[in-house]
Amino acid sequence: MFYSIRHVTRFQYSTPVSESVMEVRMRPRSELLQQCLKFELHVTPRARVQFYRDYLGNTVHYFDVPGHHNRLALIAEAVVEVEEPEDIPEAVPMAAWETIDEMWASGELYEFQMPSHFAQPSAELDKLVKELGVDRRENPLTLLRRLNQKMYSAFEYAPKSTRVDSPIDEALINRKGVCQDFSHIMIAIVRGLKIPCRYVSGYVFPRPEEEKRATPLATHSWIEAWIPGIGPNQQGLWVGFDPTSNCVCGDRHIRAAIGRDYADVPPTKGVFKGRATSELTVAVRVLPTNAPADDREELVLVPSSNSGSSPVADHHWEEMQQQQQQQ
Amino acid sequence: MTMTGSAIERRKFPAPFENYELGDPFDEMFHASGAPRQHYQEIYDFLLDLPADELKLHKQAADQTFLHQGITFTVYGRDEGTERIIPHDLLPRIITAQEWGKVESGLEQRIHALNLFLKDIYHEGKILSDGVVPRDIIYSCKHFRREMRGVHVPKGNYLTVVGTDLIRRPDGEFVVLEDNLRVPSGVSYMLTSRQVLKRIFPKLYQACGVRPIDHYGQALLATLRNLSPEGRPEPTVVLLSPGVYNSAYFEHSFLARQMGIQLVEGRDLVVHDNIVYMRTTSGLRRVDVIYRRIDDDFIDPLSFRRDSILGVPGLFNAYRTGNVTLANAIGTGVADDKALYAYVPKIIKYYLGQDAILENVETFLASEPTEQKHILANLDKFVVKAVGESGGYGMLIGPHSTKEQQEEFGKKIIEDPRNYIAQPTISLSTAPCFVEGGNIEPRHIDLRPYILYQGEKSVIVPGGLTRVALRKGSLVVNSSQGGGSKDTWVLN
Repeated sequence: MFYSIRHVTRFQYSTPVSESVMEVRMRPRSELLQQCLKFELHVTPRARVQFYRDYLGNTVHYFDVPGHHNRLALIAEAVVEVEEPEDIPEAVPMAAWETIDEMWASGELYEFQMPSHFAQPSAELDKLVKELGVDRRENPLTLLRRLNQKMYSAFEYAPKSTRVDSPIDEALINRKGVCQDFSHIMIAIVRGLKIPCRYVSGYVFPRPEEEKRATPLATHSWIEAWIPGIGPNQQGLWVGFDPTSNCVCGDRHIRAAIGRDYADVPPTKGVFKGRATSELTVAVRVLPTNAPADDREELVLVPSSNSGSSPVADHHWEEMQQQQQQQ
Repeated sequence: MTMTGSAIERRKFPAPFENYELGDPFDEMFHASGAPRQHYQEIYDFLLDLPADELKLHKQAADQTFLHQGITFTVYGRDEGTERIIPHDLLPRIITAQEWGKVESGLEQRIHALNLFLKDIYHEGKILSDGVVPRDIIYSCKHFRREMRGVHVPKGNYLTVVGTDLIRRPDGEFVVLEDNLRVPSGVSYMLTSRQVLKRIFPKLYQACGVRPIDHYGQALLATLRNLSPEGRPEPTVVLLSPGVYNSAYFEHSFLARQMGIQLVEGRDLVVHDNIVYMRTTSGLRRVDVIYRRIDDDFIDPLSFRRDSILGVPGLFNAYRTGNVTLANAIGTGVADDKALYAYVPKIIKYYLGQDAILENVETFLASEPTEQKHILANLDKFVVKAVGESGGYGMLIGPHSTKEQQEEFGKKIIEDPRNYIAQPTISLSTAPCFVEGGNIEPRHIDLRPYILYQGEKSVIVPGGLTRVALRKGSLVVNSSQGGGSKDTWVLN
């Protein structure tokens, strides 16, 4: 499948700010079954956009806007080809648990095995684990397929019920949230089983029946778990599970960045100078295509829960200078 | 541990040494027999000949000099003013050329191996796949910076300025207590103590034949300039300080002055199009090398702690690209972790194929179940340290602790084993110190040489900072815990 993606982000500041510095993680990854054929990032006010690839293979664009500005707008456009993966089997042998335990002991995938900023164990999480009956009685692949399904049934999809920086307990208590919450909860459960698990940020072009939850009009997130004994040479494979739309990921999921959780891979991350609150609006459109997206079509921007104020406050200053360890 | 009670008979020393007692620890000035060591003979004779009140006058003169020069440091968490002059002792600590030779080559070897280790763990991680160092020690370390994985640093030098703490065992051997690979401080006290002592004891200084250390500032500058990004033959070097509230601000300003470079804070720097600039009265000026005295966490709010207002947004990306050099590199703290310390002899063997010239202190890791049991059973004998702390914070000195303190630490160890190590209580060596009342008595000391790492070879100015536990019987030498400094003389 070919997709064209248009991702518009707009920051509106309450008073002019200066020295904005921003990182952008939007470029679809190129590897295995997914190739990014074209990617363009336009920034207003004009800025020189540079990029690097981090050690996980994510492409990170960054730029700065030194002068005063009231708004900052980003338009990212991509054309991506995603091939249909081979079918993932229903199950793997029970012996896969042994490989998982070996992997755990080696620490090779340490950062995807340990709790991370958003994917933390908690009493609420334990409750859910008990309720869903998640344990090692089944083989890891069947277990995760079922867990994915159960996650889907246990939670209500409710936009704006949580904030971008909400801890998972909020969604756990209310049993509702958005894709990011479901991903973080599932990551915490899967890592609790000692299965390496990571967060994927990207886009989706859902089947019509999935559209209620996953939408081609927003960014999306899901998880990948490392399953031994499958894939090329049975060397193990990162299998994508999408607890928001209750599916194993295939050629309708477009991966932009991978990390431990959302905190590693937000689509935009920036700081600016000035005492202003910022209002963030975002519009996304994913279309099957053979050609780049039509630039002339205007997208409707929707407010994001990511809006906030600048964290700068003078009274932190003294304390922070003191916190600097001088050995 | 006590100063008396050993098999050695207490012997009478002449004034001003009449209260001097020798015990189990190695004494820098006296043999166990009570005879002065040869390299201390000159100063011993000098002190015996000195009129009774003369030492007091010298001490007053030295105090005045420290005060007038503003050689101070900051103590946190106390009510009575935070700014104080650094407590110091008048009498120099003396190290022979031969002893120093071994210390120097031992440090050169150790720091070179640690630098290779840092390069390895942030790239291929061979030492981890070979199972020499367990992965979880690295990845669970709070100073490990995953952002540094795959990042190239100029000349492969992660380390530039290092301060390694040495102590002398009762058998007289120097051993390593810990490495400080992030932002080691105290070198300004080494330099100022020397300036003051040269003025107070000019003749003695001449007579002893002491190796100079005054070139430290220029050596540091040369080391920093050498790390300049490619195509920048005349680099602008700056010292980045957290600001005036930091405990080591005196040192920051002192070193900047010694090197003739700008002292800046985060707000004085700005990154534009991946280049770092300094705001000056005549506009922006490009910066090439930053000697930073700010923690990793705070250096760039875009890449690390988002709430940091001490750092420079975008600095890390400029650094990653190679447009600016940071010294020390980001993420070096993973190699001075107190749990990793136990592995350093193996690390030296692994990269250099050599045995460590300077030994470690025996160390038990609470993260290893059998060793943890051993620690918990011997809390009254061990020194227990929190691995992530420095400056003597978060420490239990078993023999000097109460039952309650031991219980409290026992709980903490069980809760968070990765965070604690234990070492046998070591009697640091003692050296003669001038104490209130006008006598000379032994006090415990350590030694922190400063290493300017330049690849396989290093510049190490002879000596370093001798830290002294000024309270009688105390083993805590950290300036933040009431320790003082002493000039260190390495003889020709």
